[in-house]
Amino acid sequence: MNERELGDRLRRAPLPPADRQRALAVVRQAFTERERVSWPRRHARALVLAGTAAAVVAAAVSPPGRAVLGSLRDAVGREGVKRARTALVSLPAPGRLLVESAKGPWVVQADGSRRLLGSYRDAAWSPHGLYVAATRADQLLALDPRGRIRWALARPQVRFPRWAGTRTNTQIAYLTGSRLHVVAGDGTHDVDLCGEPAAARVAPAWRPGPGWVVAYATTRGRVYTLDAGACSLLWRSAPFPRPRLLEWSSDGTRLALITADKLVVFTGARPSVRYLRGVVAAAFAPRSHELAVVQDGRLLVFDGDHLANRPRRIFAGAGRFGGVFWSPDGRWLLLPWPSADQWLFIRSTGVRRLLAYSRITQQFGGAEFPRVLGWCCRAR
Amino acid sequence: MGSGGRERAWVRGAQGGDVSSLEALFRHHWPTAYRAAYLVVHDAAAAEDIAQEAFIAAVRNLDRFDRRRPFGPWLHRIVVNRAIDWARMRSLRAESGGDALAGAAATESAGLADDVVEAIRSLSAEHRAVIVLRHLLGYTPGEIARLLDLPRGTVNSRLRRALDALGERLGDER
Repeated sequence: MNERELGDRLRRAPLPPADRQRALAVVRQAFTERERVSWPRRHARALVLAGTAAAVVAAAVSPPGRAVLGSLRDAVGREGVKRARTALVSLPAPGRLLVESAKGPWVVQADGSRRLLGSYRDAAWSPHGLYVAATRADQLLALDPRGRIRWALARPQVRFPRWAGTRTNTQIAYLTGSRLHVVAGDGTHDVDLCGEPAAARVAPAWRPGPGWVVAYATTRGRVYTLDAGACSLLWRSAPFPRPRLLEWSSDGTRLALITADKLVVFTGARPSVRYLRGVVAAAFAPRSHELAVVQDGRLLVFDGDHLANRPRRIFAGAGRFGGVFWSPDGRWLLLPWPSADQWLFIRSTGVRRLLAYSRITQQFGGAEFPRVLGWCCRAR
Repeated sequence: MGSGGRERAWVRGAQGGDVSSLEALFRHHWPTAYRAAYLVVHDAAAAEDIAQEAFIAAVRNLDRFDRRRPFGPWLHRIVVNRAIDWARMRSLRAESGGDALAGAAATESAGLADDVVEAIRSLSAEHRAVIVLRHLLGYTPGEIARLLDLPRGTVNSRLRRALDALGERLGDER
Protein backbone atom coordinates (compact mmCIF):
# COMPACT_ATOMS: atom_id res chain seq x y z
CA MET A 1 0.00 0.00 0.00
CA ASN A 2 1.43 3.38 -0.89
CA GLU A 3 0.96 6.54 1.17
CA ARG A 4 -1.89 7.84 -0.96
CA GLU A 5 -3.81 4.60 -0.49
CA LEU A 6 -3.16 4.83 3.23
CA GLY A 7 -4.81 8.27 3.30
CA ASP A 8 -7.82 6.99 1.37
CA ARG A 9 -8.22 4.03 3.72
CA LEU A 10 -8.03 6.29 6.79
CA ARG A 11 -10.69 8.59 5.36
CA ARG A 12 -13.01 5.72 4.42
CA ALA A 13 -12.51 3.27 7.31
CA PRO A 14 -15.83 2.59 9.04
CA LEU A 15 -15.91 3.93 12.62
CA PRO A 16 -18.43 3.51 15.45
CA PRO A 17 -21.11 6.16 15.05
CA ALA A 18 -20.77 9.32 17.12
CA ASP A 19 -23.69 11.26 18.55
CA ARG A 20 -23.05 14.48 16.70
CA GLN A 21 -26.28 16.17 17.74
CA ARG A 22 -25.57 15.73 21.41
CA ALA A 23 -22.06 17.08 20.98
CA LEU A 24 -23.44 20.04 19.04
CA ALA A 25 -25.92 20.76 21.84
CA VAL A 26 -23.08 20.86 24.40
CA VAL A 27 -20.90 23.04 22.18
CA ARG A 28 -23.83 25.36 21.51
CA GLN A 29 -24.40 25.67 25.25
CA ALA A 30 -20.73 26.52 25.82
CA PHE A 31 -21.01 29.10 23.05
CA THR A 32 -24.11 30.65 24.63
CA GLU A 33 -22.42 30.79 28.03
CA ARG A 34 -19.45 32.51 26.45
CA GLU A 35 -21.87 35.09 25.15
CA ARG A 36 -23.53 35.39 28.55
CA VAL A 37 -20.35 36.64 30.22
CA SER A 38 -19.72 39.25 27.58
CA TRP A 39 -19.76 42.86 28.76
CA PRO A 40 -23.05 44.11 27.26
CA ARG A 41 -25.15 41.20 28.46
CA ARG A 42 -23.61 41.18 31.92
CA HIS A 43 -24.28 44.87 32.35
CA ALA A 44 -27.64 44.78 30.63
CA ARG A 45 -28.80 42.27 33.24
CA ALA A 46 -27.50 44.43 36.09
CA LEU A 47 -29.18 47.43 34.56
CA VAL A 48 -32.47 45.59 34.22
CA LEU A 49 -32.24 44.44 37.85
CA ALA A 50 -31.35 47.93 39.02
CA GLY A 51 -34.22 49.37 36.99
CA THR A 52 -36.64 46.80 38.37
CA ALA A 53 -35.48 47.46 41.93
CA ALA A 54 -35.87 51.20 41.44
CA ALA A 55 -39.36 50.70 40.01
CA VAL A 56 -40.35 48.47 42.94
CA VAL A 57 -39.03 50.99 45.48
CA ALA A 58 -40.82 53.82 43.70
CA ALA A 59 -44.04 51.84 43.62
CA ALA A 60 -43.73 50.78 47.23
CA VAL A 61 -43.42 54.30 48.63
CA SER A 62 -46.57 55.48 46.88
CA PRO A 63 -49.87 54.90 48.77
CA PRO A 64 -51.28 52.49 46.12
CA GLY A 65 -47.91 50.67 46.07
CA ARG A 66 -48.02 50.12 49.82
CA ALA A 67 -51.41 48.51 49.44
CA VAL A 68 -50.11 46.12 46.73
CA LEU A 69 -47.13 45.08 48.86
CA GLY A 70 -49.42 44.43 51.79
CA SER A 71 -51.57 42.07 49.77
CA LEU A 72 -48.46 40.29 48.47
CA ARG A 73 -47.26 39.67 52.01
CA ASP A 74 -50.61 38.20 52.91
CA ALA A 75 -50.53 35.90 49.92
CA VAL A 76 -47.06 34.59 50.79
CA GLY A 77 -48.14 34.08 54.39
CA ARG A 78 -51.07 31.93 53.27
CA GLU A 79 -48.72 29.74 51.20
CA GLY A 80 -46.70 28.76 54.25
CA VAL A 81 -47.61 26.70 57.29
CA LYS A 82 -49.88 28.87 59.45
CA ARG A 83 -48.76 28.00 62.94
CA ALA A 84 -45.07 28.54 62.33
CA ARG A 85 -42.65 29.63 65.03
CA THR A 86 -40.96 32.90 64.29
CA ALA A 87 -37.53 32.08 65.76
CA LEU A 88 -35.38 29.03 65.17
CA VAL A 89 -34.72 28.12 68.79
CA SER A 90 -33.47 24.57 68.26
CA LEU A 91 -33.12 21.81 65.71
CA PRO A 92 -35.39 18.80 66.26
CA ALA A 93 -32.50 16.32 65.90
CA PRO A 94 -28.84 16.20 66.90
CA GLY A 95 -26.29 17.70 64.56
CA ARG A 96 -25.43 21.06 63.03
CA LEU A 97 -26.60 22.80 59.91
CA LEU A 98 -24.41 24.53 57.36
CA VAL A 99 -26.37 27.36 55.75
CA GLU A 100 -25.36 29.94 53.15
CA SER A 101 -26.86 33.42 53.02
CA ALA A 102 -25.83 36.46 51.00
CA LYS A 103 -23.37 37.25 53.80
CA GLY A 104 -21.68 33.84 53.64
CA PRO A 105 -21.94 30.44 55.33
CA TRP A 106 -23.35 30.01 58.84
CA VAL A 107 -23.05 27.11 61.26
CA VAL A 108 -26.31 26.49 63.15
CA GLN A 109 -25.93 24.49 66.34
CA ALA A 110 -28.60 22.08 67.64
CA ASP A 111 -29.67 24.72 70.20
CA GLY A 112 -30.41 27.18 67.39
CA SER A 113 -27.36 29.41 68.00
CA ARG A 114 -25.59 30.39 64.82
CA ARG A 115 -22.26 31.79 63.72
CA LEU A 116 -21.39 33.51 60.45
CA LEU A 117 -18.09 32.07 59.17
CA GLY A 118 -17.22 34.99 56.89
CA SER A 119 -17.53 36.07 53.32
CA TYR A 120 -17.23 32.68 51.60
CA ARG A 121 -19.31 30.61 49.20
CA ASP A 122 -19.98 26.97 48.41
CA ALA A 123 -19.26 25.65 51.89
CA ALA A 124 -19.24 21.93 52.74
CA TRP A 125 -18.62 19.97 55.92
CA SER A 126 -15.52 17.88 56.50
CA PRO A 127 -16.44 14.21 57.09
CA HIS A 128 -16.79 14.60 60.87
CA GLY A 129 -17.91 18.20 60.93
CA LEU A 130 -14.64 19.44 62.41
CA TYR A 131 -13.89 21.78 59.52
CA VAL A 132 -15.60 23.44 56.59
CA ALA A 133 -14.32 23.71 53.02
CA ALA A 134 -15.38 26.87 51.22
CA THR A 135 -14.46 29.06 48.28
CA ARG A 136 -13.71 32.74 47.83
CA ALA A 137 -12.63 34.53 44.63
CA ASP A 138 -10.46 31.86 43.02
CA GLN A 139 -9.48 30.31 46.33
CA LEU A 140 -10.29 27.04 48.03
CA LEU A 141 -10.14 27.34 51.82
CA ALA A 142 -10.40 25.13 54.86
CA LEU A 143 -12.01 26.82 57.86
CA ASP A 144 -12.63 25.75 61.40
CA PRO A 145 -16.20 26.09 62.72
CA ARG A 146 -15.30 29.52 64.17
CA GLY A 147 -14.42 30.76 60.69
CA ARG A 148 -10.63 30.81 61.11
CA ILE A 149 -8.73 29.92 57.93
CA ARG A 150 -6.59 26.78 58.26
CA TRP A 151 -5.22 26.91 54.74
CA ALA A 152 -6.02 28.39 51.35
CA LEU A 153 -5.22 27.24 47.84
CA ALA A 154 -5.36 29.59 44.86
CA ARG A 155 -7.12 28.07 41.85
CA PRO A 156 -9.25 29.69 39.13
CA GLN A 157 -13.04 29.34 39.17
CA VAL A 158 -13.14 27.07 42.21
CA ARG A 159 -16.49 25.53 43.07
CA PHE A 160 -18.20 22.54 44.71
CA PRO A 161 -15.63 21.38 47.28
CA ARG A 162 -16.61 18.00 48.71
CA TRP A 163 -14.66 16.57 51.64
CA ALA A 164 -14.38 12.88 52.54
CA GLY A 165 -12.23 10.50 54.55
CA THR A 166 -11.42 9.25 58.01
CA ARG A 167 -10.27 11.11 61.12
CA THR A 168 -6.64 10.75 60.09
CA ASN A 169 -6.78 10.99 56.31
CA THR A 170 -9.10 13.20 54.28
CA GLN A 171 -9.31 14.51 50.73
CA ILE A 172 -11.30 17.26 49.05
CA ALA A 173 -12.63 16.90 45.53
CA TYR A 174 -13.55 20.16 43.78
CA LEU A 175 -13.89 21.73 40.36
CA THR A 176 -11.58 24.40 39.01
CA GLY A 177 -13.17 25.57 35.80
CA SER A 178 -14.28 22.31 34.26
CA ARG A 179 -11.46 20.21 35.72
CA LEU A 180 -11.93 17.81 38.62
CA HIS A 181 -9.19 18.21 41.20
CA VAL A 182 -8.44 16.38 44.43
CA VAL A 183 -6.37 17.87 47.25
CA ALA A 184 -5.37 16.35 50.59
CA GLY A 185 -7.24 17.61 53.64
CA ASP A 186 -4.18 19.60 54.74
CA GLY A 187 -4.13 21.51 51.44
CA THR A 188 -1.21 19.60 49.90
CA HIS A 189 -0.87 17.34 46.84
CA ASP A 190 -3.44 19.07 44.66
CA VAL A 191 -3.86 17.14 41.39
CA ASP A 192 -6.02 17.21 38.28
CA LEU A 193 -7.62 13.85 38.87
CA CYS A 194 -6.46 11.39 36.21
CA GLY A 195 -6.95 13.88 33.36
CA GLU A 196 -10.48 12.64 32.73
CA PRO A 197 -12.98 14.51 30.47
CA ALA A 198 -14.21 17.94 31.51
CA ALA A 199 -16.72 18.12 34.33
CA ALA A 200 -20.22 19.55 34.14
CA ARG A 201 -21.26 22.14 36.75
CA VAL A 202 -22.28 19.43 39.20
CA ALA A 203 -20.68 18.78 42.58
CA PRO A 204 -18.53 15.64 42.62
CA ALA A 205 -19.65 13.00 45.12
CA TRP A 206 -17.40 10.79 47.23
CA ARG A 207 -18.67 7.27 47.77
CA PRO A 208 -19.17 6.67 51.49
CA GLY A 209 -17.10 3.90 53.01
CA PRO A 210 -13.52 2.77 52.62
CA GLY A 211 -11.39 3.78 49.66
CA TRP A 212 -11.31 6.94 47.62
CA VAL A 213 -14.03 6.54 45.04
CA VAL A 214 -15.42 9.74 43.59
CA ALA A 215 -18.19 10.17 41.03
CA TYR A 216 -18.54 13.16 38.77
CA ALA A 217 -20.57 14.10 35.71
CA THR A 218 -18.93 15.15 32.47
CA THR A 219 -20.12 17.92 30.19
CA ARG A 220 -21.62 15.19 27.99
CA GLY A 221 -23.61 13.90 30.94
CA ARG A 222 -21.66 10.70 31.45
CA VAL A 223 -21.09 9.71 35.06
CA TYR A 224 -17.52 8.63 35.76
CA THR A 225 -16.63 6.84 38.97
CA LEU A 226 -12.94 6.90 39.67
CA ASP A 227 -10.70 5.35 42.27
CA ALA A 228 -8.82 8.52 43.15
CA GLY A 229 -6.15 6.53 45.01
CA ALA A 230 -5.16 4.36 42.05
CA CYS A 231 -6.32 6.81 39.39
CA SER A 232 -8.37 4.08 37.77
CA LEU A 233 -11.78 4.23 36.15
CA LEU A 234 -14.27 1.92 37.86
CA TRP A 235 -17.09 2.55 35.42
CA ARG A 236 -18.64 5.21 33.27
CA SER A 237 -22.24 5.55 32.24
CA ALA A 238 -24.01 6.28 29.00
CA PRO A 239 -24.68 10.01 28.52
CA PHE A 240 -27.54 11.53 30.53
CA PRO A 241 -27.68 15.11 29.21
CA ARG A 242 -28.02 18.12 31.51
CA PRO A 243 -26.90 16.53 34.78
CA ARG A 244 -27.68 18.50 37.95
CA LEU A 245 -26.87 16.47 41.04
CA LEU A 246 -25.06 13.32 42.18
CA GLU A 247 -25.83 11.68 45.51
CA TRP A 248 -24.60 8.37 47.01
CA SER A 249 -26.55 6.23 49.43
CA SER A 250 -24.83 5.98 52.81
CA ASP A 251 -23.75 2.37 52.15
CA GLY A 252 -22.18 3.41 48.84
CA THR A 253 -24.09 0.85 46.78
CA ARG A 254 -26.47 3.28 45.04
CA LEU A 255 -25.71 6.49 43.19
CA ALA A 256 -28.54 8.85 42.26
CA LEU A 257 -28.21 11.21 39.33
CA ILE A 258 -30.69 14.02 38.71
CA THR A 259 -30.87 15.51 35.24
CA ALA A 260 -33.24 18.07 33.73
CA ASP A 261 -35.80 15.36 32.98
CA LYS A 262 -34.69 12.13 34.65
CA LEU A 263 -34.06 10.51 37.99
CA VAL A 264 -31.42 7.79 37.60
CA VAL A 265 -30.24 5.38 40.27
CA PHE A 266 -27.09 3.40 39.48
CA THR A 267 -26.41 0.07 41.12
CA GLY A 268 -22.80 -0.29 40.09
CA ALA A 269 -22.82 0.78 36.46
CA ARG A 270 -26.41 -0.43 35.89
CA PRO A 271 -28.89 2.45 35.74
CA SER A 272 -32.60 2.49 36.64
CA VAL A 273 -34.25 5.46 35.00
CA ARG A 274 -37.44 7.32 35.80
CA TYR A 275 -38.57 10.28 33.73
CA LEU A 276 -39.22 13.17 36.10
CA ARG A 277 -39.07 16.87 35.32
CA GLY A 278 -38.64 19.76 37.72
CA VAL A 279 -36.53 17.93 40.29
CA VAL A 280 -34.71 20.42 42.49
CA ALA A 281 -32.97 18.14 44.98
CA ALA A 282 -32.65 14.56 46.15
CA ALA A 283 -31.14 12.87 49.19
CA PHE A 284 -30.85 9.26 50.33
CA ALA A 285 -31.97 8.58 53.88
CA PRO A 286 -29.09 7.52 56.14
CA ARG A 287 -28.65 3.73 56.26
CA SER A 288 -31.42 3.23 53.72
CA HIS A 289 -32.13 3.34 50.00
CA GLU A 290 -35.14 5.61 50.46
CA LEU A 291 -34.62 8.62 48.26
CA ALA A 292 -36.30 11.92 49.16
CA VAL A 293 -36.91 14.01 46.06
CA VAL A 294 -38.11 17.60 45.77
CA GLN A 295 -40.08 18.15 42.58
CA ASP A 296 -41.20 21.79 42.37
CA GLY A 297 -43.68 22.10 45.27
CA ARG A 298 -43.78 18.41 46.23
CA LEU A 299 -41.67 16.27 48.52
CA LEU A 300 -41.68 12.64 47.39
CA VAL A 301 -39.91 9.58 48.74
CA PHE A 302 -38.90 6.89 46.23
CA ASP A 303 -37.71 3.38 46.90
CA GLY A 304 -34.21 3.62 45.43
CA ASP A 305 -34.22 -0.12 44.73
CA HIS A 306 -37.50 0.03 42.79
CA LEU A 307 -37.74 3.36 41.04
CA ALA A 308 -40.75 2.24 39.02
CA ASN A 309 -42.83 1.95 42.20
CA ARG A 310 -45.15 4.82 43.01
CA PRO A 311 -43.43 7.27 45.36
CA ARG A 312 -44.88 8.35 48.71
CA ARG A 313 -45.97 11.97 48.78
CA ILE A 314 -44.79 13.47 52.04
CA PHE A 315 -45.70 17.13 51.62
CA ALA A 316 -46.97 19.54 48.99
CA GLY A 317 -47.20 23.31 49.00
CA ALA A 318 -47.48 26.35 46.78
CA GLY A 319 -44.30 27.65 45.13
CA ARG A 320 -41.05 25.75 45.08
CA PHE A 321 -38.95 24.10 47.76
CA GLY A 322 -35.24 24.80 48.04
CA GLY A 323 -33.81 21.36 48.74
CA VAL A 324 -34.19 18.43 51.09
CA PHE A 325 -31.91 17.27 53.92
CA TRP A 326 -32.12 14.28 56.23
CA SER A 327 -31.12 14.70 59.86
CA PRO A 328 -28.01 12.64 60.67
CA ASP A 329 -30.18 10.16 62.62
CA GLY A 330 -32.54 9.78 59.64
CA ARG A 331 -35.67 10.73 61.63
CA TRP A 332 -36.33 14.22 60.29
CA LEU A 333 -36.37 15.89 56.93
CA LEU A 334 -35.59 19.58 56.53
CA LEU A 335 -37.50 21.21 53.69
CA PRO A 336 -36.51 24.84 53.00
CA TRP A 337 -39.43 26.76 51.45
CA PRO A 338 -38.22 30.06 49.96
CA SER A 339 -41.58 31.35 48.71
CA ALA A 340 -43.06 31.02 52.20
CA ASP A 341 -39.82 32.15 53.91
CA GLN A 342 -40.03 29.03 56.07
CA TRP A 343 -38.10 25.95 57.05
CA LEU A 344 -40.18 22.85 57.61
CA PHE A 345 -38.91 19.97 59.72
CA ILE A 346 -40.91 16.85 58.92
CA ARG A 347 -40.76 13.79 61.11
CA SER A 348 -40.12 10.95 58.68
CA THR A 349 -40.71 7.89 60.84
CA GLY A 350 -43.40 6.79 63.26
CA VAL A 351 -45.76 9.59 64.22
CA ARG A 352 -45.97 12.28 61.53
CA ARG A 353 -45.00 15.64 62.91
CA LEU A 354 -44.35 18.98 61.31
CA LEU A 355 -42.36 21.85 62.81
CA ALA A 356 -42.36 25.09 60.87
CA TYR A 357 -40.12 28.12 61.37
CA SER A 358 -40.86 31.37 59.58
CA ARG A 359 -38.92 34.60 58.91
CA ILE A 360 -35.88 32.55 57.96
CA THR A 361 -34.45 35.24 55.68
CA GLN A 362 -34.43 37.79 58.49
CA GLN A 363 -32.69 35.35 60.83
CA PHE A 364 -29.78 34.97 58.40
CA GLY A 365 -28.98 38.56 57.54
CA GLY A 366 -32.13 39.58 55.72
CA ALA A 367 -30.96 39.94 52.11
CA GLU A 368 -32.10 36.67 50.55
CA PHE A 369 -33.52 33.31 51.59
CA PRO A 370 -30.55 31.24 52.80
CA ARG A 371 -29.50 28.03 51.11
CA VAL A 372 -29.08 24.96 53.32
CA LEU A 373 -25.86 23.13 52.43
CA GLY A 374 -25.77 20.20 54.83
CA TRP A 375 -26.83 18.68 58.14
CA CYS A 376 -23.92 17.16 59.96
CA CYS A 377 -23.04 14.96 61.88
CA ARG A 378 -24.34 12.12 63.98
CA ALA A 379 -24.20 12.69 67.74
CA ARG A 380 -21.24 10.83 69.25
CA MET B 1 -17.26 31.84 -2.27
CA GLY B 2 -14.53 29.18 -1.84
CA SER B 3 -14.33 26.91 1.14
CA GLY B 4 -11.67 29.19 2.69
CA GLY B 5 -13.88 32.24 2.28
CA ARG B 6 -16.91 30.38 3.57
CA GLU B 7 -14.99 29.27 6.65
CA ARG B 8 -13.75 32.79 7.31
CA ALA B 9 -17.34 33.99 7.12
CA TRP B 10 -18.43 31.34 9.65
CA VAL B 11 -15.60 32.29 12.02
CA ARG B 12 -16.47 35.97 11.67
CA GLY B 13 -20.13 35.19 12.33
CA ALA B 14 -19.34 33.04 15.36
CA GLN B 15 -17.05 35.72 16.77
CA GLY B 16 -19.97 38.09 16.42
CA GLY B 17 -22.22 35.71 18.38
CA ASP B 18 -24.08 34.09 15.48
CA VAL B 19 -25.10 30.58 16.53
CA SER B 20 -25.81 29.39 12.99
CA SER B 21 -22.22 30.23 11.98
CA LEU B 22 -20.96 28.22 14.92
CA GLU B 23 -23.17 25.32 13.88
CA ALA B 24 -21.87 25.50 10.33
CA LEU B 25 -18.29 25.37 11.61
CA PHE B 26 -19.18 22.44 13.82
CA ARG B 27 -20.90 20.48 11.04
CA HIS B 28 -18.01 21.09 8.69
CA HIS B 29 -15.25 20.04 11.07
CA TRP B 30 -16.90 17.48 13.38
CA PRO B 31 -16.47 14.38 11.14
CA THR B 32 -12.74 14.92 10.72
CA ALA B 33 -12.21 15.88 14.35
CA TYR B 34 -14.00 12.75 15.56
CA ARG B 35 -12.20 10.52 13.04
CA ALA B 36 -8.80 11.93 13.99
CA ALA B 37 -9.50 11.48 17.70
CA TYR B 38 -10.79 7.94 17.18
CA LEU B 39 -7.78 6.87 15.17
CA VAL B 40 -5.49 8.02 17.98
CA VAL B 41 -7.45 6.68 20.98
CA HIS B 42 -9.46 3.79 19.47
CA ASP B 43 -12.31 4.36 21.90
CA ALA B 44 -15.54 5.78 20.49
CA ALA B 45 -16.77 7.39 23.72
CA ALA B 46 -13.39 8.97 24.42
CA ALA B 47 -13.13 10.18 20.81
CA GLU B 48 -16.54 11.85 21.11
CA ASP B 49 -15.50 13.50 24.36
CA ILE B 50 -12.17 14.66 22.92
CA ALA B 51 -13.71 16.08 19.75
CA GLN B 52 -16.43 17.80 21.74
CA GLU B 53 -13.98 19.22 24.29
CA ALA B 54 -11.76 20.47 21.47
CA PHE B 55 -14.70 22.38 20.01
CA ILE B 56 -15.54 23.81 23.42
CA ALA B 57 -11.93 24.90 23.93
CA ALA B 58 -11.99 26.50 20.49
CA VAL B 59 -15.29 28.25 21.21
CA ARG B 60 -13.99 29.64 24.49
CA ASN B 61 -10.94 31.10 22.73
CA LEU B 62 -12.73 32.23 19.61
CA ASP B 63 -12.22 35.90 20.35
CA ARG B 64 -8.48 35.45 20.23
CA PHE B 65 -8.54 33.56 16.94
CA ASP B 66 -7.07 35.34 13.92
CA ARG B 67 -9.75 34.77 11.30
CA ARG B 68 -7.35 35.30 8.42
CA ARG B 69 -5.96 31.87 9.31
CA PRO B 70 -7.75 28.56 8.65
CA PHE B 71 -9.79 27.15 11.51
CA GLY B 72 -8.98 23.49 10.82
CA PRO B 73 -5.33 23.40 11.92
CA TRP B 74 -6.23 25.23 15.12
CA LEU B 75 -8.90 22.66 15.94
CA HIS B 76 -6.80 19.69 14.83
CA ARG B 77 -3.96 20.79 17.05
CA ILE B 78 -6.28 20.69 20.06
CA VAL B 79 -7.87 17.38 19.06
CA VAL B 80 -4.65 15.51 18.41
CA ASN B 81 -2.83 16.83 21.48
CA ARG B 82 -5.78 15.92 23.70
CA ALA B 83 -6.02 12.50 22.10
CA ILE B 84 -2.31 11.86 22.71
CA ASP B 85 -2.70 12.93 26.35
CA TRP B 86 -5.71 10.64 26.77
CA ALA B 87 -3.97 7.65 25.19
CA ARG B 88 -0.81 8.16 27.27
CA MET B 89 -2.82 8.49 30.45
CA ARG B 90 -4.86 5.39 29.68
CA SER B 91 -1.76 3.33 28.94
CA LEU B 92 -0.12 4.41 32.19
CA ARG B 93 -2.84 3.22 34.47
CA ALA B 94 -4.65 0.03 35.17
CA GLU B 95 -8.35 0.37 34.55
CA SER B 96 -10.23 -1.71 37.07
CA GLY B 97 -13.32 -1.82 34.90
CA GLY B 98 -11.04 -2.61 31.97
CA ASP B 99 -12.60 -5.88 30.95
CA ALA B 100 -16.10 -4.47 30.93
CA LEU B 101 -14.98 -1.35 29.08
CA ALA B 102 -12.94 -3.31 26.56
CA GLY B 103 -15.96 -5.53 26.03
CA ALA B 104 -18.16 -2.53 25.46
CA ALA B 105 -15.65 -1.05 23.02
CA ALA B 106 -15.46 -4.34 21.15
CA THR B 107 -19.25 -4.45 20.87
CA GLU B 108 -19.30 -0.85 19.67
CA SER B 109 -16.93 -1.56 16.82
CA ALA B 110 -18.18 -5.08 16.03
CA GLY B 111 -18.48 -5.53 12.30
CA LEU B 112 -16.41 -2.42 11.66
CA ALA B 113 -13.03 -4.13 11.70
CA ASP B 114 -10.65 -2.60 9.19
CA ASP B 115 -7.13 -3.92 8.84
CA VAL B 116 -5.59 -0.46 8.54
CA VAL B 117 -7.41 0.78 11.63
CA GLU B 118 -6.36 -2.36 13.48
CA ALA B 119 -2.77 -1.92 12.35
CA ILE B 120 -2.75 1.68 13.56
CA ARG B 121 -4.07 0.53 16.92
CA SER B 122 -0.82 -1.41 17.43
CA LEU B 123 1.28 1.79 17.22
CA SER B 124 2.12 4.10 20.10
CA ALA B 125 -0.07 7.18 20.57
CA GLU B 126 2.72 9.46 19.31
CA HIS B 127 3.11 7.38 16.14
CA ARG B 128 -0.65 7.22 15.58
CA ALA B 129 -0.83 10.99 15.91
CA VAL B 130 1.75 11.71 13.21
CA ILE B 131 0.13 9.18 10.87
CA VAL B 132 -3.27 10.79 11.40
CA LEU B 133 -1.93 14.32 10.91
CA ARG B 134 0.06 13.38 7.80
CA HIS B 135 -2.18 10.91 6.02
CA LEU B 136 -5.70 11.67 7.25
CA LEU B 137 -5.46 15.43 7.63
CA GLY B 138 -2.77 16.03 5.00
CA TYR B 139 -0.31 18.20 6.91
CA THR B 140 3.32 18.40 5.86
CA PRO B 141 6.01 17.26 8.32
CA GLY B 142 6.88 20.92 8.94
CA GLU B 143 3.27 21.75 9.77
CA ILE B 144 3.01 18.69 12.03
CA ALA B 145 6.16 19.80 13.84
CA ARG B 146 4.52 23.16 14.54
CA LEU B 147 1.19 21.61 15.57
CA LEU B 148 2.82 19.22 18.03
CA ASP B 149 5.67 21.51 19.14
CA LEU B 150 8.23 18.98 18.01
CA PRO B 151 11.48 19.25 16.03
CA ARG B 152 10.92 18.45 12.38
CA GLY B 153 13.49 15.64 12.55
CA THR B 154 11.48 13.96 15.29
CA VAL B 155 8.34 14.14 13.16
CA ASN B 156 10.16 12.64 10.19
CA SER B 157 11.61 9.79 12.22
CA ARG B 158 8.24 9.06 13.86
CA LEU B 159 6.58 9.01 10.47
CA ARG B 160 9.20 6.66 9.07
CA ARG B 161 9.00 4.27 12.01
CA ALA B 162 5.23 4.32 12.05
CA LEU B 163 5.01 3.59 8.33
CA ASP B 164 7.56 0.79 8.65
CA ALA B 165 5.58 -0.73 11.51
CA LEU B 166 2.34 -0.43 9.55
CA GLY B 167 3.92 -1.98 6.47
CA GLU B 168 5.23 -4.88 8.50
CA ARG B 169 1.94 -5.46 10.21
CA LEU B 170 -0.18 -5.22 7.08
CA GLY B 171 2.35 -7.33 5.19
CA ASP B 172 2.32 -10.03 7.89
CA GLU B 173 -1.41 -10.32 7.70
CA ARG B 174 -1.51 -10.78 3.98
